Amino acid sequence: MTHSPLAPRSSLFAKYFLALFAAVVLPLLVASGSEAWFGHRDQRARLNDLLNAEARSAAAKIQDFIDGIRDQLAWTVQLPWSDGADDRRRLDAFRLLRQVPAVVSLAFVDASGRERLFVSRIGLNRIEGGAENSLNAALTGLRPGSAGYGPVTFHAGSEPFMTIAVTGNRAAVGIVIAEVNLKLIWDVISAIKVGRTGEAFVLDQPGRLVAHPDISLVLRADKAVTLPLQGLRADILARNGQAVAGRDTTGQTVLAAMAQIPGVDWSVVVKQPAAEAFRPIYAALWRTAALLVGGAAFAAALAYWLTQRMMGPIRLLEDGVARIGAGQFDYRISLATGDEFERLATRFNEMAGDLAVSQERSERIGRLKRFLAPQVAELVDQSGDASVLDGRCMEVVVVFGDLRGFTAFSARAQPETVMSVLSDYYDALDKVVIEHGATLTNFSGDGMMVLLNAPVACSDPALRAIHMAHEMQLSVQSLLRDRSALGHRLGFSVGLAMGPAIVGRIGKEGRLDYTAIGNVVNLASRLCASARDTEILTDMVVAHAVEGQVPLVEQDMRILKGFDQPIQVFSAVNNEISLKQLS
Amino acid sequence: MTKRDIIAFVGVAAASTISARAQQRAMPVIGYLGSESPEPYTSRISAFLQGLKESGFTQGHNVAIDFQWAEGKYDRLPALAKYIASRQVAVIVAPGGAEVALAARSATSTIPIVFEMGGDPIALGLVESLSRPGGNLTGVTSLSVEVSHKRLEFLSEFIPTTKTFAVAVNPTSPTSSSQLRNLRTAASDLGLQLHVLNASSEPEIDSMFVAVSQMRMGGLVFTSDPYFAYRSQRLAALAIRHGVPAITQAQDFPIAGGLMSYGGDFQQSHRHTGIYAGRVITGERPSDLPVQRVTKLELFVNLKAANALGIAVPASLLSSADVVIE
Repeated sequence: MTHSPLAPRSSLFAKYFLALFAAVVLPLLVASGSEAWFGHRDQRARLNDLLNAEARSAAAKIQDFIDGIRDQLAWTVQLPWSDGADDRRRLDAFRLLRQVPAVVSLAFVDASGRERLFVSRIGLNRIEGGAENSLNAALTGLRPGSAGYGPVTFHAGSEPFMTIAVTGNRAAVGIVIAEVNLKLIWDVISAIKVGRTGEAFVLDQPGRLVAHPDISLVLRADKAVTLPLQGLRADILARNGQAVAGRDTTGQTVLAAMAQIPGVDWSVVVKQPAAEAFRPIYAALWRTAALLVGGAAFAAALAYWLTQRMMGPIRLLEDGVARIGAGQFDYRISLATGDEFERLATRFNEMAGDLAVSQERSERIGRLKRFLAPQVAELVDQSGDASVLDGRCMEVVVVFGDLRGFTAFSARAQPETVMSVLSDYYDALDKVVIEHGATLTNFSGDGMMVLLNAPVACSDPALRAIHMAHEMQLSVQSLLRDRSALGHRLGFSVGLAMGPAIVGRIGKEGRLDYTAIGNVVNLASRLCASARDTEILTDMVVAHAVEGQVPLVEQDMRILKGFDQPIQVFSAVNNEISLKQLS
Repeated sequence: MTKRDIIAFVGVAAASTISARAQQRAMPVIGYLGSESPEPYTSRISAFLQGLKESGFTQGHNVAIDFQWAEGKYDRLPALAKYIASRQVAVIVAPGGAEVALAARSATSTIPIVFEMGGDPIALGLVESLSRPGGNLTGVTSLSVEVSHKRLEFLSEFIPTTKTFAVAVNPTSPTSSSQLRNLRTAASDLGLQLHVLNASSEPEIDSMFVAVSQMRMGGLVFTSDPYFAYRSQRLAALAIRHGVPAITQAQDFPIAGGLMSYGGDFQQSHRHTGIYAGRVITGERPSDLPVQRVTKLELFVNLKAANALGIAVPASLLSSADVVIE
């Protein structure tokens, strides 16, 4: 089982996600923010221009109203006065009253300041009334050919009136003084629309409301009511004619701009509910915000997708590596991303393959080492041909070794002592076997079997076997000599024979033995059994093979169990052991 | 609680929710106090409805109007006004003269009243000032009462050869004395003689015309009075029959064959009354709505009537006239 590694302190997912998200959102935020800010500023400026234009247009309309009256008055003062009643002028006056509804009454004053004619809609007409009219405010400072405007007055404290005086281009034609009902500006002011619900109003110089779409506000002539409107005008003046935000009489927040009417010194103010005026700005801001949110959502989705695309393969690789690390060499990481990840996965898969091969080899070596000398095992392995272990008939030298008196010893001695003796015995023999490149095929109790010339062929196996047997005797005898001090009577005998045998692996998978089968094995075993302590017995084949190279002593023919004929036996002379025996 | 109690309780609860819902749905009601019958008021009512519409109200759609008519019997006005006030209407509209406005005012001091009349509402004690009416009344005044002397002036201009004119006065009218005073001053300014004739009923009107034609006076000047205004048809017929040059406040008179009229534009005044009624329904207080004065005064001249009377129309009148009926 793969065990998951410790969770990392900060995940790659979070890093990549944040980085990708920020990469999209930050520029978007900056772009939108600046766009919104500049947009807002430009819109504000545009709104200012728009409102100012509306104010100028409204002022022009009010101006037209006044100028219209002035122009109408102008043509009634063209002819000089005669001494008698001026019937023609009277008709002109009647016509003017009919044409200009705002004019309530007309007074004609001659050059000497005497009222010559007075016509009115309400009062009685007067001819040659003679009243002195030079005190009228509209007349002060009036030059020939010009018009003068009196202050706004509120009749009965309610209706706004104003006098307009127009002089002829010569002093002799005198002056016409008209009383104008300013209520009639309502027709003009109520027709002015700023945007959808915006409107205009007119303040005179002292700040009284002269005209407003809601006529009742004008007729109330209440300074307290018009205070917010005066406030708007003051704000605009304070800001050099820029449009300002403020509150109107109903407490609604409005945006207001202003234009002056020079002759009468009135201010025409246009106002538009701020909510309406700023609607395009707010709409733009909302659009920007929506774009930002949408962009952020898109960025998050993109970042999530990209990061997932990155994390998926990384996790797969991590898991795969963990499995391979745990020895699952047949595990393959399957990634088809077509990028570096896929290449990395391929590399990992190759590595897993290599590891599998390597492990298989080391396992095989381990197996071989069980019954082959390490060098032999390596050799077999390097040759890469395990077929050397297959069963075949070979000329081999079989060497048997056996502890004498072991059965009696094991019956008497403590099991620990037996195990200790056996362990030392095996170690000693194993070393010798390895040194001589022989193959230890079998240990069983105190006996052992060693093969030479199989599975790997070696030169002069018989001689080699005799040298090995001598070494065995030396090391075992020295071991036993140490042991004999402890009162154990043990000996060691060796028998060897040479001849053809079937050698190879025997057994099934997991419990394989390499061994030899044949007459030569029996012969070697019987020779070993027949040998006394310290003795090394060989058959004739070995003796012939080593003739002249090692000293051998021919023994009497021996009857060996399982053999019909007596066998010629030779004893390998071992001077050292003999000497030791003697000593 | 017995079973019967529970049933009764449930019934009451159901009834109260129903009535509450009915009240929610109920349209505001305008109590309309008329001095005459609907017929002579027709054009005025349509102007009133027009104004109401400008304030966002349409009869039968989002406002109901409860019309009450005095049928020319002005002494019935106070009782009708009280009846309207008892109906708990949203606003009382009192058009057509000082009598109606005064009757409405005497009926309630809480329900808003919008009047339409000629004359000075301050002098009549209806409001404290034009700009700040103060109480529960506001409305529209025409200039008809103020211009009574202008009618005398126009008629004398028409018939410059005569220095004696008859004046028709309805003594029951609240504004009659002020108009008469106004006329007498004007007469002395113009160097004219006045002969005052009272008429407050149909037989008196008949006998008045007989008197004028018998006394061979220059003409008959009518003071501003709704009683006369709503009888323009009859006045015109009598003027034609008796060959009397006459001038009234109402344009209906020359249209019906009379000689002249000079007075405030009642279309305008009734329209403004409608606008104010609507504004009051939407919650504005009458004390915040200044009394409006009609700006428009109209001179109607019927040339046919002048020809029938054998009078040449002077150029000054033709150029002054807003409407010349040929």
